[in-house]
Formats: sequence, structure tokens, C-alpha cells
Amino acid sequence: MQDPAGHAIDAALAAGAGYADARVVRRRAQLVATKNGEVDSVSDSETEGIGVRVLVDGAWGFAADPRLSEQGARDAAVRAVAFARASASRANARVELAPIPPAEGEYSPPVGRDPMEVPLEEKIALCLRAEEGMRRPEVKITEASVRAMRELRVFRSSEGASVTQHSVECGGGIDALAVSDDGCVQNRGFPSAHGGSSAQAGWEFVEGLGLEKEAPRVGEEAAALLTADTCPSGITTIVVDAEQMALQVHESVGHPTELDRVYGTEAAYAGTSFLRPEDLGSLRYGSEHMSITADPTTPLGLGTFGWDDEGAPARRQPVVEGGLLTGYIASRETSALVGHDLGGSMRADTWSRMPLVRMSNLHLEPGAGSLDDLIADVDDGLYLSTNKSWSIDDKRLNFQFGTQVAWEIKKGKLGRMLRDPTYMGVTPEFWGRLDAVAGPEEWTLFGLTNCGKGQPGQYAHVSHGASPARFHDVQVGVRR
Amino acid sequence: MTRALDLAERAVEAAEGDEADAFVHVESSGLARFAASAVHQPTLIRNESVTLRVVRDGRVGCATTNRTDDDGLASAARRAGEAADSSPVDPGFAGLQEAAPVPAVEGYDEATAAQSPEDQADAAAEAIAAAPGLGLYGYYTSGVTEVGVVSTAGQSVSQAMTDTSVLTLAASEDSSGYAEATSWRASDVDPAEVAREAAEKAVRTRGAQGLEPQTFRAVLEPYAVSELLFFFAFTSLNALAFLEGRSYLSGRLGEKLFDAGFTVRDDGLDARSYPKAFDLEGVPKQPVVMIEEGVARDVVWDRRTARQAGDDHVSTGHGLAAPQQAFGPIPFNLSVAAGDAASVGELAERVGDGVYVTRLHYLGIVDPREGILTGMTRDGTFLIEGGKVTRPVVNLRFTTSFPALAAGLLGLTKEVTLVNRSDFYDERYPFGTLVPAVATNAFTIVGTGSGPGL
Repeated sequence: MQDPAGHAIDAALAAGAGYADARVVRRRAQLVATKNGEVDSVSDSETEGIGVRVLVDGAWGFAADPRLSEQGARDAAVRAVAFARASASRANARVELAPIPPAEGEYSPPVGRDPMEVPLEEKIALCLRAEEGMRRPEVKITEASVRAMRELRVFRSSEGASVTQHSVECGGGIDALAVSDDGCVQNRGFPSAHGGSSAQAGWEFVEGLGLEKEAPRVGEEAAALLTADTCPSGITTIVVDAEQMALQVHESVGHPTELDRVYGTEAAYAGTSFLRPEDLGSLRYGSEHMSITADPTTPLGLGTFGWDDEGAPARRQPVVEGGLLTGYIASRETSALVGHDLGGSMRADTWSRMPLVRMSNLHLEPGAGSLDDLIADVDDGLYLSTNKSWSIDDKRLNFQFGTQVAWEIKKGKLGRMLRDPTYMGVTPEFWGRLDAVAGPEEWTLFGLTNCGKGQPGQYAHVSHGASPARFHDVQVGVRR
Repeated sequence: MTRALDLAERAVEAAEGDEADAFVHVESSGLARFAASAVHQPTLIRNESVTLRVVRDGRVGCATTNRTDDDGLASAARRAGEAADSSPVDPGFAGLQEAAPVPAVEGYDEATAAQSPEDQADAAAEAIAAAPGLGLYGYYTSGVTEVGVVSTAGQSVSQAMTDTSVLTLAASEDSSGYAEATSWRASDVDPAEVAREAAEKAVRTRGAQGLEPQTFRAVLEPYAVSELLFFFAFTSLNALAFLEGRSYLSGRLGEKLFDAGFTVRDDGLDARSYPKAFDLEGVPKQPVVMIEEGVARDVVWDRRTARQAGDDHVSTGHGLAAPQQAFGPIPFNLSVAAGDAASVGELAERVGDGVYVTRLHYLGIVDPREGILTGMTRDGTFLIEGGKVTRPVVNLRFTTSFPALAAGLLGLTKEVTLVNRSDFYDERYPFGTLVPAVATNAFTIVGTGSGPGL
């Protein structure tokens, strides 16, 4: 490849930029989806281009162009400078960037069998076998899917940063939808709702998910939900499975600790945060059992990188320690605003989007004991499994989440299955009711690819590790 | 020949198979995003992409690329062919669109297409200047999108669309108000007026109080109606969900399910919306009445679901491009028929005592079959007391049945507003809903959240 990023930097500086960076991205992805024993979709997509970000008189500009030629790179740079210059006259403050040493190097995490090289026939066959296992008379729709992606990301900056990163992702999931004669509709999915789970890994990750092995249970539970009682309303103790805890961490810790939200940049769309910059080091986020870590070095994580999209090196850092807020997810700009070096977590969906403050991998640190131990200590409560619906307010305080299934807990034992469970809470109060997190043996990493943010919108691929956790005095069964 | 048609024809020529079609998307756009009254994330995007679908012996494969030189198209053709060869025969494949005339529609405006980055930054600045004393958050955007479909079955169509949107949140620590406007003509959108509306509403939200959750009578502004309607439509007015029994309308066609004043249609030809001549399979758009005076009549169809349903069903022109067809057909030109209320003030009079809702946030589908949705209100929630909009209240958590809401209508305004529904993820495809403000006797609040403001 030529060096389009280098050409873009040169052109941006020549046009008057005080700072410039450029990302070249080449991505290829495959998706195989089957439904009711037939192939629903087999697709193979590729996209490439360059995104150029500049500062002119302290104001940002960004332009993207699909041409990876010198001309395409220079055009993008000149347009970015023009947009920045047009915006700069209305800026009420100059953007300052926290200093970082110029990054240099190459990053390519190890993977086993390249998922892009796995024949499509093999992917289709796996999906069809997994689907077969879910079939029951009550299950009207069975679905399975696997995905794979390979990406090259080259970053250069006018400060001298120059890094090349390679990533490989794959994942998969299954879902069963049961429908009764009277119109009741229930679903179960595995290993995660909404498209399954992914990782930066080789094809062995997909094979290790156990889609075929779990399929009979998934089908049986979907069918059983049709005749299950509806989750009652009340205040009770809940044990939340690791998959739903991953969503809980994402929505009620990940997003509110994004420092751009704290400063209001996302106010019009995704929302702000109940946190304030001065809360760092003093705000009690939850009970002493709550520790959350941002870790872009996690093996298999979708948010794992060598450097972020500003060239900041990957760094593991705590966000909540023993219930105390001790970190934020940040960028160079927001680190400068808050006056702390909080590491870098700027990420762009692809070449055509400006980097935003994004979660990388954000984990609930494990406690001790097994899931059975958590349940054994509950006299009367619920065990909730697998996300079904989610909603949280613009400050990330009031949330209502639904799961696909619940089981009663009576005197330390799981009892009858319940359908349509929901629970709601207010973020710091809810986390304050955390009284146990299961141990490392229950800790599971989930990778999701649909975290939306920004205008124009962009998706982030992030991972969350969690163990099942227990909360007391939670409002459940709020469905009307 | 347009750029989209040229690319689509070249892609189809590159394909090797029994049949092929190509969907092309070309975008040039600018979005001046602002926060705290300063343009902060200005983004210019140029791109063009081709999705090629190849059919070999009844097997179907797709490939997408934005490398539009001959090598890129040849690579896409090879990969689509390999995908087809790898797949079993697709018994649900409904074939490619044959030659069919598409209606002439509006939706393209030269002046909008000619907007420069400077124009877009100026428009953002106009909005910011109109909301002094408050922080203004949001964006001004305009762009040109061209789509084209060419099939070996004979279809060859393209359409260029322009779009403009301004979205504003005026806010301080203890106040926030919202307004937006959208049109395919930039001259229809006045950024300063939109920002003033947001600012005026923000000032009224100071001192918000809590309230006890219950089912309220309510007035919903078009922004809120639009979001509820689209979520309901995505899960219930879609033929795939209908056929699979997941839709609220499954098994209920012909029944009176809603208030007699509730009529919902999808009309791609309506020039007040974002007009569309054909869907992303190249099928000409047909108007569809889905709910007529409260009676469930139909859903929207694509080629695949029409074939699956059998009988005399045909595509109504609501298909997505392969391979996104797993979502089923989507109504991109939804509208709710106007009512007889002269203003939202008259709707408040009909409500008597209740809540007034400007905008919603982060909707979730709790139960698609029953049309139950959850979410929060934000940026302008008030009490209605004695038929008047009075005090501000905090953001409210609703978990409510959309069918019950629409069955309990107390009125709709005469005026309808086009509300943008695109958040500009992936490729730009402008669409919106054309809706009035509504009053209902069934909006269920289950909790309270934070107050208005940053």
C-alpha cells in the first residue's frame, strides 16, 4: 500500500492544520445466518477508506474518503481543514490535547484458525446443526448465525505517531422463538442475546461456544416459557447471570463513566451522565463488592488494541474500586479537561467516522464462590438470565431491563420458571444493593458488536467480563 | 446515466451466474455537530458502495464493496459467486425484480445538494446564536444520497435524494428543551427557529417535580409519537413479524384494535415526507393503509415475505437490500392521519389532568407481540392541570402498551410534522414519520428519573 495517511497529514498541515491525524481502515467481514433449517443470509462485505481529523485554530474538522490514493487522502485532508476552519470562528474554547509520546509499532494479537479462511460451507453446516437441536413443536423459529471479520488499521499523526494494527474477530449465537396457539411469544438465546457473542480470536472460539451442545436446552426452555407463570411484581433479592450482568455493566457503568458524556458532548443524543468530573475519587458508586476495570489488554476482548485511535497505548485501569469511583473512560481532549491522565479509549467505528470516547473492555471483577453459592444464600428471590430488553435514561440513572427467563429461588433452591421478568432501579442505589459477586470460575467474557453512539451514528465492538451477582431489595415485575 | 446506475450496471456485468442484481448507494454529506454552543465534531463523508447478489442454480450469495474500480467489482462478483456456491438452494428466494416503471417522485433539491461545509457550519452557527444563555447541543446536517438497482431480470432504476435536519437540545444544569426539523429542502428548515423553540421549552422545565407513577392521560408531541410509532411499526407492521406471529397484528387483521381516529399508512410518494420511488430491491413503491380508522388492515411486504405468504400477496415496495432482508420489510414513509384539534393546547384541554411529553429516550421493546414499550421522557415533560400545561416534572419511566395508547385516543392535531428517524448509522438513507401530536387516556408511567438538564 502507498502511505495515504502520510499524504493526508502533509496536506492537512500545508492547508493550515495545527494538528492532524489520519486512519486508514481496510475491513472485510462475513456473516452466515440460517433460519428454520434454511440459509437466511450469506454475505461477504469489504470496505476501505481514510478518515482525516484536524485541529485548526483549536477547532476540530473531520473528513472521510473511500479512495486510498494520494489524491483521495489529500482531498479528505483539505476538506477536513475547510470544515474545521468554518467551525473555528464559532468555537468558544480551543481544544487542547493531553500530551502523549508518539506511538510507533505494530500490533497483531495471536489467533488460531483464521475465521475468514474457514469455508462458508463449514459455517453454514455448523449453523444448521445448531438449529436442528433447538427444534420442538412449540418452537416456530430457530435461528443461528456466525460472523467473522478481519481488519487493518493504520494510524499516523502530525506528532509522529505511526502504528499498524491487525484484528480478527468471530462469533456466533443461536435463538429459539416459541409461539403458542393463543399468541404467546417467548424466546431463548445462547450464549448471549442479540446476535450471540464475539471475540478477537480464531475460529476455535466459535467452535468452543458450544452452540450445538446448548441447542436442546435453549429449545426446551423457549417451549417451557409458553406455559410458565408471569413474573410477579414486588421487591425482592435477585441473582443476575453473567450475561445480563455484562449488559448491566455496559449500560449503568460503562456509558456514565465515558468522560465525553460527563462533559455533555453527547447530550443531544445518547445523553449525559449523573457523574461530574469532581466525583473522581469521592463518589460512592456501589457497595464494597463492586469493582469495575477498563482493560484494553484483555485476551479475546473486542475492545483489545495496542493503541487507541489517537495513538494512546492500551492500559488497564480501575474505574470503580470497592464501590468508589476512581476512573473515567477518556480521550486526550477529556483528559486535558479533567486534569488527570486517564489513559486513552478513543475509538472509531470505521474509516468514515470520527473517533469518540468509547468503552474498550469493561469488566466486573469477580468475587468468590459459585453461582450455586449465591443462590444458596437466598431465602426468597429470583434468578434472572439472558437479556431481552433494555432501557436507561439520559443520565444513566433510571433503568429498566428485562431478561428472557427467571426462576424462583425458594430457600436457597431454584424453583419454577417465570416468564417476562423485568427489574428496574436507579444506578448508584442499585449497585449499592450488590451483596455478592461470584468467583473467577464463573467469570465469563461476552463480546457485543452493536453499541451505538455519536452523530452520525457509529457502532463499537466491546467486551464485558462478569460473574453472576446478587442484589437485595430490587423492584421486579414492572411490566404493564 | 447516473453514478448509481453506472456502478450497478458495471457490477451486474461483472457477475457470473444465472441471475444477478446490484444495489448501489452513493453518499456525500456533512454534519456539523455542536455541543455547549460550539461546533465540536464536524464530519464530512463521501462514499459509494455496491451490494451484488448472484444466483446460481437457486443458490444465492451476496458481497458488498466500496472498491468501485474494475478490480473491486470483479472481487465482489467472485466473492458473491463463492457465497452462492457455498449455500444450499434457497427455497424462499423470490427472484429478482423484473422491469417495472417506478413513479416519479420529488425529494431532490439542487440548493440542498449544493450546500458546502461552510454552509453547514453557518447553519449550525445560526442555531447556536438563537439560544443565548443556554448551551446548545445537536447538529445541522445535509446530504445527497443516490440509490440505484439493476437486475438481470430487467429492472434498472435510480433515485437521488437530498435531506436536511437540524436537531437542538437547549440545556443548562437544571433545564433542557428539545426541538428538531427535517426536510428534503434545506430552505424548509430554519435552524434559528428550531433552536428558539428548544430554548423556550428549556426555560419552562426549571424546578421540575416528581410525581406518583400511574396510568396518565397524556399529550404527546410529534417527536414522541414518531418514536413510539416507529418502534411499534418495526415489530408489528412488518410482514415477516406478522407471518411469524411476533406482530401485534398477527391473527388480528380486520379487527378494530385502535381508536376510530387512528389511521396509519405508508406512502413513499408523499412529497411531505422523504419520497421514495422504489425500495432497495428495485420494487416500485405502493401506498399501504395498515390501520384504517382503528381497524387493522395490512402490513408492508417485500418480495420474500409476499412469496412466503402465497395467495395473491405481492411486494408493496418495502424491501431492504440483500443481505439485510432478515429484518423483513420496513415502512420508511409512515404517517398518522391528522385529527381535528387546532393545537396541542386543545389536546391539553381534552386531557384535563395528565402529563405533557415532548420527547422520549432509549426505547426498549418489552413485548413485541403485545406492543409493550418502555423508555424515558426527556427535555420537556410537564403536568397538565385543568386543561392547561402547567408545572415541569422530572423525566418519567414509561412502560406502556402502544395499542392501548392508540385505542384510547382523545384527539390528534390538524397539523402533522415530519420527524426525522435516521441517526445516520451505516449508509445514509433519509426517512421520517409524518405525525400529529396526540392525546391519549392510556400512558403508563412506572417510575421517575432524574430532572431535566445536563
